[in-house]
Amino acid sequence: MKLKLLFVTIIALLCAAQVQAAKIRVVTTLTDLADFTRQVGGDHVEVFSLATGIEDTHGVPMKPSFVPRLNRADLVVNVGFGCEHAFLPALLEASKNPRIQDGHPGYVDCSIGITPLEVPLSTDHSQGDVHPYGNPHYMLDPVLAKTAVQNIYNALVATAPEYGADFARNRDAYLAKLDAKIAEWQQLAAPLKSVKFVSYHEHWPYFAERFGMDYLGTIELKPGVDPTPRHIEDLVNEMKAQHAKIVVREPQFPEKVPALIAKETGATLVKLPIMPGGVAHTDTYIEMMDYIMHTLVAAVQK
Amino acid sequence: MEQLKQQLRQMQENFEKTQNEQRQQIEALTKKLDGLTSQRQAAAISVPPVAVTTNQFNKLNEKVDQVVEAQKKTLMSEFNPAIGLVGETIFSYRSKGSDLTGSDRPGGFDVWQRSLEMVASASVDPFAKGYAVINASADSATSEATLAVEEAALQTTSLPGNLELKAGRFFAEFGRLAYIHDHELPFVNRPLALDEYIGGESQSDGVQLNWLAPIPHYVSVTAGVGDHFGGDSPNPDHPGTFRAFDGLNFWGRLSTYFDLTPNWQLESGVSGLINPKTEDRGGALLQPNGISTLTEKERRLAGFDVKLSYVPLQNNQFRSFTWGTEVLYSDNRYLSDPDGVPGSADEFDENVGSLGLYSYVACKWSRQWSAGFLLDYVQNTQNHSDVTMDFSPFITYALSHWNQLRLQYTHTDHNAVSGLHPDDAIYLQWAWIIGAHSHGWQQR
Repeated sequence: MKLKLLFVTIIALLCAAQVQAAKIRVVTTLTDLADFTRQVGGDHVEVFSLATGIEDTHGVPMKPSFVPRLNRADLVVNVGFGCEHAFLPALLEASKNPRIQDGHPGYVDCSIGITPLEVPLSTDHSQGDVHPYGNPHYMLDPVLAKTAVQNIYNALVATAPEYGADFARNRDAYLAKLDAKIAEWQQLAAPLKSVKFVSYHEHWPYFAERFGMDYLGTIELKPGVDPTPRHIEDLVNEMKAQHAKIVVREPQFPEKVPALIAKETGATLVKLPIMPGGVAHTDTYIEMMDYIMHTLVAAVQK
Repeated sequence: MEQLKQQLRQMQENFEKTQNEQRQQIEALTKKLDGLTSQRQAAAISVPPVAVTTNQFNKLNEKVDQVVEAQKKTLMSEFNPAIGLVGETIFSYRSKGSDLTGSDRPGGFDVWQRSLEMVASASVDPFAKGYAVINASADSATSEATLAVEEAALQTTSLPGNLELKAGRFFAEFGRLAYIHDHELPFVNRPLALDEYIGGESQSDGVQLNWLAPIPHYVSVTAGVGDHFGGDSPNPDHPGTFRAFDGLNFWGRLSTYFDLTPNWQLESGVSGLINPKTEDRGGALLQPNGISTLTEKERRLAGFDVKLSYVPLQNNQFRSFTWGTEVLYSDNRYLSDPDGVPGSADEFDENVGSLGLYSYVACKWSRQWSAGFLLDYVQNTQNHSDVTMDFSPFITYALSHWNQLRLQYTHTDHNAVSGLHPDDAIYLQWAWIIGAHSHGWQQR
């Protein structure tokens, strides 16, 4: 009897393992991409995100524990435009997985089809840690995020065409949901029109363009370079002259300098996530965008 | 008077006449222009509009995307290697002369362009990448720059079975810091134990195979073989006209990693090196008594390393903590010659076991500032009674990611057996990078 039970258990475990193995193994760099992959892939995907949501998009720690996951992955989904240059190339090399190396079908660059903003004329380091391909923070524009969803869909269909109908249904349902939310956010954003603001890092040009805000500049002197006292002074003067209303602090940056600038200028300091999970109750992309829109509108109407 | 009035009248009539003529001309031209415009509009209306189908639009969109993608690819000069340059200058003051400390740099004030490294790397083809590190460092005696190939290797990128092969000249995987370039160390100088037992960086001309275990837990295994081991190793070998198989160096490393919490990490590894027949590496080494000599016949080295790190997910650019320790045990076999006269029949084989270690902590409290403390202990490979110790507090200021200053104080103590004197030193290291730079796996 005991032997029979053991046999049944082993068979069940093997079957479960088989079901698990049949799933497409996807590693995403950031949490918004993980959310999109789950939305489109549904039950056919097993998704792991390198970031938990609170990290800097350019500074996810290179943990060796990521390497076995990447080694077994069918797809690695990334933002592109060099957003992950500080950690992804080294992790991919360590993964020893030829399927997901740049240029191979398993390497999913979600920036394909997106026209970048702020493509630098020079990549000289005097301009800071600039991204040669342009600003990579397009995910904060929900319309452009739809392109990322489509790129993920394309990769999933190419990997498992047998589930193509499911992926198409999931994608269409999610995009319809996103479209409805975009219309809602556009309406909600009416008070944000022409509102001037600054942020710690250059995360917000795509967002500002989408919702008609006026992005004055960054607290960082240059991308990846801490502000100097002179730069802070200039920024404060510029904000006063332009009547800037909002200072945005992304969660991974210290609060001290943004708080000081807000106090000096009378602007409202807000903490905004740059990917799902960046602050509490923003587990999905839609929840994150909801949070961003409501927080900004509340700050303007204060 | 009357004549003048008549002349004026005549001029007015002429003017009015000319004005009327020109008005008529303008009206005629305007009519003509209106007519032509009407004709053109009519013609435009009569041409059917060009219908752009969704398919055509998608094709156009695809072409635009291709242009954008092509622009992305050519920006980084895909066909050319990524090239970077690293410079490192050391300003120092040492309280004792090199005759008393055994240092290869003079005592007192010293400015040393320790290295100027050019790094180039690119894919060779779909199966491999190549890279080279050319180093120009100033000679301590002449200040002349010596050009040397520190690394030049080919590394596979698509071997099956989780394997990766590296061949050429490279820094072999041994321990934690032996394969790190000087300017990437967390402190100014390479730990004494690495200098004594490895010979600076773990440079070798050879081949190395790395295997990632196909399990959910990170386990990495490396094995390699090369004709020498250690970049600054004295007189690498004396192979003569023929090097036997046992004249090669063989090394291996096993390393693993644990996520203790989302913010705390633990890495550990063991390494080993054996050169069964060292081909008299370094020649006959004169001992402190000035008579007897030791000639290395077999080189054996084992190491254990551990690194505990606090790397907060949220703000690791601004906060971090590292504790790293490496212990090395050297067990070399020498031919001991008490009278220093070869062939006098008094020679005998002698194994010398010696121990070395370093341990350091480094703490970062802002994007620009970090500080730490290094402790070094090493026994001479030929005489374990000859002991050197030092300790070094250091502070680092990074103006940016590519421009860094480090101030370090080092107190070095030698025991009586060494015959050397204790000394104090202050170092100011200025390191910079221009051009391409990579965030490599080994430098994490």
